[in-house]
Amino acid sequence: MTYLLITFQALVVLLSAPLVVGMVRTLKARFQNRQGPSIFLPYVSMLSLLRKEMTITKHSSWVFRMVPFVVLGSAFFLALVVPSLFFGIVPSSLDNIFLFGAVVALGSVFLVLGGMDTGSTFGNMGSSREMTLATLVEPALYVSLATLALATGAWGMGGIVGHFTSLPWLVAVPPAIVTLIGLLFVLLAENARYPVDNPATHLELTMVHEAMILEYSGTYLAMLEYASAIKLTALLAVCMGILIPFGISAPPVTFFGLGIALIAFFGKLALGAFAIAFIESVIVKMRFYRMQEYMMLAFFIALLGLAVELIVLYH
Amino acid sequence: MSSFTIDCLFAIAFVLPLVGVVLSLATRRFSWNNTLVQSMFILSGFAGLIAGSYFFALLGIGNSASFNGTFFGLVNIALNSMQVFFLMLVYGGVLLTSLYAIQSLPPYKDVYVLPTLNVASAFFIVGMQATILSPSLFTFLMAWEIMSVSAYFLVIADRSDESLRAGWLYFVMTHIGFACIAAGLLLLAGGNLFASWHDVALSALGATPLAISIAFVLLLAGFGSKAGLVPLHQWLPYAHPQAPSGSSALLSGVMLKVALFGFIQGVALFPFVPSFSAFLVISIGLLSAFFGALRAAVENDAKRVLAWSSIENMGLIFSAVGIYLLVHGSQDSAVSAIAPSIALFIILHTANHFIFKTGLFMAVGAVASKTHTRNLDELGGLAQRWPIFAGIFLALSLAAAALPPFGTFFGEWTYFQTLASGMTVSAFFGGSFALILALLALVGGLALFAYVRMFSAIFLGRARTTHAEQVSPMPILLWLPSLFSVLLSIIAGLFLFPILSAPNTFMEGVTLFGDVAILGGVSMNAWWVLLSVIFIGVLLTVCRRSFSNRNPARITDTWDCGQPITPRMQYTATGFSAPIRFFFKSILMSEKELIIEPISMSNPWIVRRRLVWSIKSFFEYWLYRPIGIAVFAVSRAVKRLQNGVIQLYLLLVICALVFTLATTL
Repeated sequence: MTYLLITFQALVVLLSAPLVVGMVRTLKARFQNRQGPSIFLPYVSMLSLLRKEMTITKHSSWVFRMVPFVVLGSAFFLALVVPSLFFGIVPSSLDNIFLFGAVVALGSVFLVLGGMDTGSTFGNMGSSREMTLATLVEPALYVSLATLALATGAWGMGGIVGHFTSLPWLVAVPPAIVTLIGLLFVLLAENARYPVDNPATHLELTMVHEAMILEYSGTYLAMLEYASAIKLTALLAVCMGILIPFGISAPPVTFFGLGIALIAFFGKLALGAFAIAFIESVIVKMRFYRMQEYMMLAFFIALLGLAVELIVLYH
Repeated sequence: MSSFTIDCLFAIAFVLPLVGVVLSLATRRFSWNNTLVQSMFILSGFAGLIAGSYFFALLGIGNSASFNGTFFGLVNIALNSMQVFFLMLVYGGVLLTSLYAIQSLPPYKDVYVLPTLNVASAFFIVGMQATILSPSLFTFLMAWEIMSVSAYFLVIADRSDESLRAGWLYFVMTHIGFACIAAGLLLLAGGNLFASWHDVALSALGATPLAISIAFVLLLAGFGSKAGLVPLHQWLPYAHPQAPSGSSALLSGVMLKVALFGFIQGVALFPFVPSFSAFLVISIGLLSAFFGALRAAVENDAKRVLAWSSIENMGLIFSAVGIYLLVHGSQDSAVSAIAPSIALFIILHTANHFIFKTGLFMAVGAVASKTHTRNLDELGGLAQRWPIFAGIFLALSLAAAALPPFGTFFGEWTYFQTLASGMTVSAFFGGSFALILALLALVGGLALFAYVRMFSAIFLGRARTTHAEQVSPMPILLWLPSLFSVLLSIIAGLFLFPILSAPNTFMEGVTLFGDVAILGGVSMNAWWVLLSVIFIGVLLTVCRRSFSNRNPARITDTWDCGQPITPRMQYTATGFSAPIRFFFKSILMSEKELIIEPISMSNPWIVRRRLVWSIKSFFEYWLYRPIGIAVFAVSRAVKRLQNGVIQLYLLLVICALVFTLATTL
């Protein structure tokens, strides 16, 4: 039964991932007074990519071909352990916060290797930047996750979200707000959104993520785009699950509960997509060589969040 | 009977390298000389590993396990499980590196004098074993000196100017360290050079707190200089890479652990540790970890990247030792409960660092021997030539960057999780552990950067030089030992992690596949992680087969915007780390300079422009240089006495005599 629930939960995340990307794109277009594409467009484009022929550069090795599998695999792992509908069903070893952080890092590392294995300066530049960002974002990510764990006394993603659902909103969430802001910084950096990266262009001045995957085509490109959509959805589900901890339930699952959970989940994703589209419409992209300021800010906000939690805990 | 077997095996392991010395000198004219000597070393390592495993199988791995080896009635050595653990690292290192040396050394027979090199290696191996085995202060110092001096001969093995300089630096630093160790231990022993460890501990009971504090600082400086702790690390990035790669692996993978062993053993002699000691060790450890990782991320010499990373990892281990000192034996049971989890990290990371660092040094050595360069900017594209070897190297790099599913990840997970769980103990631990955790995350990120950069510079993209483009196939013994390291690294997570976490229940064989629970009951299971890796891998392969276009991919050129691109256009390792150099500019003291040289006298516009960048060593600039300047200033001042007038010299001699008599009488 537990495995069935895990599979179901993972499937929901996997199936809704392109939808989140579509929603962000369309909402962003509306903010810019454009009609925008249908929110289901990413499904169509990924499916058509699956049917296209692949071209692979002759200057690459097996690493280049392995990258999409590892990157998508790490995204699958996130989809498996993120408590999007239920909590307390994933084995505690697997949804540990530090394992979560390490799997995110593993995905980034292989994307970087993919960009390096092309013999093209475009990919190399994206890789160098992505690796720098992944390095500098690590302290903020770990401190934020540790703070949440400290606040809830649980060391798994499921336990953390479960704790927030079990307490009144006004008691549990406000102390964690600062940490959530820190996590938002991490989320924007990890998912190549504004102000760190511009997901919409192929200009060498602005891009990080798109530069790394420039040489990929066909199925592999679909896998990488799908992976980044899943990662966005999973991280968004964590943040929104803590901010609005409604609808997520523990194992004895009823059909009614399941329906509530699904509705709540999609509502949260829509809100999250709106938030990202809003952020992307009101701020500009930062120069890459000013990224240390952004990362320092993220780190200090994360530390501040930790300080708040420590004060709550010991006073 | 069984203790006799262990006796015999340890004795064989100890003596075989010395047999190797004799054979090496006796057969130096034959071509199979190297193979013969290396087989002696391999046998020694093998015997030692069997003896160690037998020891643990017999006595368990709890702290109480100890064993009285009589070595046929010659000496009486009580072995405890910690000694055997470190001995096994030595034997494992000897086994792997000697296997590697069979094929890696002969191509260099014009560079190194192989028989002499092997003699130095043999004494080095014996010295390390003796250091760990020695039952008394005097034998310890003797063995330590044998180890240090033979390591010097390994460093200068190729007799190049660079090696001699590095060797000289090492020689000076290691003897400063030796002096500190000897002084510290003698202070504890009350001046009795021939005291056994037991006597040292007894006499330390009567030492004054001041003497204890001084002894602690001396031991930290002495063992820390050997382990490469900041600011006494200066020699390590120069010396370790200069040795032949197999020996570098031993120096970085094993000798640093012997220094750690010495420190732990030394601290165990103290009746109490001074209150500042924990904070001192923690801060020095964290500083080393940060500087090591940062320099590893910007270094261009592949072996030097590994050397800096050794500094980083030893820093991590020492910071954990500091935390152990802080929490161990605390009155508060919640605080002292942190200690076992920290100890688990120390011992796991010691083993893990040994495994991946030995493997990586051998792998980098194999690359260097085939491409004739260690400069990351001149390599590239090797993954197409050596696909299997690239896989081994990638696995070792991921292990070194502490990513799952390798053993290193589970070690570091233990550390991170212990710190995070420890935050709930009190406000003080909450705040300080949070800062340590944040710094460790940054160090982890930088290490990740360093290893990804090194792997991509060597193996990915296109070859940047003809040497790297036209490499010959790699002989089996150059990559097989590294493959063993990869397997060991996975095994360390699957088996070593559960075994070491529950030393007392393991003997019943219950915890091998179960969750490993550490402080606060938080658990992790390496088997689950490996299973999910396999599961997701299979799932993705099946999906790829069933859902997507199955036509073979079209092989094309890299997208070049209509202009042909050359290998020189790729990012070099230097370019890759440019953002890190920029972000940490003030700490790295990195500088760019545009040098303009006029070519034509008549036309000022015709010039040659060169861009050079440099990184200065922070500690060399702010610590070593001022000391050097001060020493020179003092000696210049003293030099005025040397005026060539014999009467003045006689006066000085008389003054010295009077002073000596006055102080002694």
